[in-house]
Amino acid sequence: MSEAMVTTVDLQRQYKRGRFPVPALNGVNLTVGRGEILGIIGPSGSGKTTLLNLIGGLDRPTKGTVDVDGVELDKLSDAELTAYRLRKVGFVFQFYNLIPTLNSVENVELPMTLAKVPAAEQRKRALDLLDAVGLEARADHMPDELSGGEQQRVAVARALANHPSVVLADEPTGDLDSKSAKKLMEVMKSLRKEEHATFVLVTHDPIVVAECNRVCAVRDGRITRESRIGEDGKILDGSRFVMDALF
Amino acid sequence: MSSMNIAIRNLRHRKMRTALTVSGIVVGVAMILVLLSLAAGTSTQTSGLLRNVIGSEITVVNSTNPTFVTTTRSGFPGGGFGGGGGGFGGLFGRGNPINESLVSSVENVSGVFVASPQLSTSGYVDGVNVLLYGIDPGSYTQATSGGLTLTQGSDLSSNNQIVLSSVTATNLGVTVGSQVTVGANSTGGTKYAVVGIYSSGTTFGFQARSEYIELSDAQNISGQEGLVTEILVKANDPSLVNQVASDIDSISGVTANIANAVAGSAATLTNTMTTFFIVIGLVALLAGAFGVINTMMMSIGERTREIGTLRAIGATKGQVMKMFLSEALLIGLIGAIAGVFIGVVVSVALPSLTGAAASSGARGFAGIIPGNQGKLLTTLTAFNLVLSFALGSLVGIAAGVYPALRASRMDPVEALRHV
Repeated sequence: MSEAMVTTVDLQRQYKRGRFPVPALNGVNLTVGRGEILGIIGPSGSGKTTLLNLIGGLDRPTKGTVDVDGVELDKLSDAELTAYRLRKVGFVFQFYNLIPTLNSVENVELPMTLAKVPAAEQRKRALDLLDAVGLEARADHMPDELSGGEQQRVAVARALANHPSVVLADEPTGDLDSKSAKKLMEVMKSLRKEEHATFVLVTHDPIVVAECNRVCAVRDGRITRESRIGEDGKILDGSRFVMDALF
Repeated sequence: MSSMNIAIRNLRHRKMRTALTVSGIVVGVAMILVLLSLAAGTSTQTSGLLRNVIGSEITVVNSTNPTFVTTTRSGFPGGGFGGGGGGFGGLFGRGNPINESLVSSVENVSGVFVASPQLSTSGYVDGVNVLLYGIDPGSYTQATSGGLTLTQGSDLSSNNQIVLSSVTATNLGVTVGSQVTVGANSTGGTKYAVVGIYSSGTTFGFQARSEYIELSDAQNISGQEGLVTEILVKANDPSLVNQVASDIDSISGVTANIANAVAGSAATLTNTMTTFFIVIGLVALLAGAFGVINTMMMSIGERTREIGTLRAIGATKGQVMKMFLSEALLIGLIGAIAGVFIGVVVSVALPSLTGAAASSGARGFAGIIPGNQGKLLTTLTAFNLVLSFALGSLVGIAAGVYPALRASRMDPVEALRHV
């Protein structure tokens, strides 16, 4: 692991349910290295998505700090957070969330349009990315003309459009069959090399876990364990707890 | 992909809903345009009607030393009493006449319907002192809405003819076909044929003793060749009388006197009607606006997750707002264009479609004018076209403001969780 791309210190987030504060995150200290693929696993309601939202600048912590690629998120205004999401973060959602009225290449271009990248440059970058995810032939297809796996690969291409510091994916294979899930992970791994991208993946899926460099287990708003994963997808430190959490 | 392009895509994506929403605006805009055209048409109609009912609204006289002027509601001619000394002339003092050539200058003022010259002078008919009015029979009839109320005979048609008041005719014991002697003095004069007798409406005073002859005859008798004492003017549109009068005033040497009551009431009537029509049209457009709001809110509800996604991947509040405002603007623009088109078609077709409705109870102003019974007259003006188009587009975008604001203010985390 090289230098840190994402660092959280004592990250806490409470929600209000009526008069009662409900803790979602109880002091998470996490470091994600540049070019790493980090998996976050844990049961529903353990705080995985909250952690992702805080790193992605969609939400603000109750306490603690997030630093992404040298940007201290707590010091940003709402408008600056929006700009941060545009330029430093790529999001991949469980249900793809492509814009249904835009075709594949236009969906990939969308973040660049928002960032006011020149049109010709947008098109070139978008086609390159579609090529990288193996969908160059689907550039003019509308989302409803694509399979789930194809839509998610378009979403990954979209997430990478503005050369983000980190790509955050919430259950990226949650709606995919295992063949599509494997294909998606292959694409992510190759993009990690080509684009030097950093991925943080929230998942329940062993196929995803097998492709991570490292896996953190979250329970009750804390990271309870973490393990490194070898090139062969095996857990390096010999512990079986990660898989225990999965099955 | 500009926000406008995305808006177009979204509107095309839901064609049926877009069409229904647009038709709300179309109905409103078309209705406003038709009603405005009707108001304008009715105004023209009312003006014509009033022009036929009331007398001349403006009397033009010499500006430095005007003749005495009376203009009554019934359109009785303004009498000038500046004639040749003695008699009636002496009662009212003496005014300076104006050059007859000014008649054409007055006629050329924009908005003038007719300008009729008149020379009033004191004279004698069979030795009896009367007021002689020299008139131009053709324009006089138009300027006074029908001319004299003849009880016998006919209007003047050539020189050496006279129309007598019923009082004078009775006093002199003459009738249509009789010959009378007309001159400036009680003795002497020229023989005139009595061609008509009119009802003066009163048995004493100058109105009972006003006799009408050709303008050139009056000029001869009084020795005022090429001169007139008054010009009676009627405007195209009674509501524009003030403007016409002030334009006439700018001609050197003359002053325009207005019968204010007439001009004011005509303008008020027209304005009330126009306001009434505009209010109805605006209500229709308001209904269309609620249609736009409803569609936009529905669309935003359905696209909550899309909005969350946009915000998550870095769209600013302003960019989200712009996307939805663009949709509302497009709905407004398409609605306004189609509405203006339909409004024009209806406005053009309406008069020919409504002509036959006369007997079935159209009792409006239209019914009073012969030949226009029950017909709805419309007048399309460029101003009204632009106004209804602008209203439609504005209402579209205004109706989009609240939904667009709602969309831009969504919490992205909440919006993304929306299924």
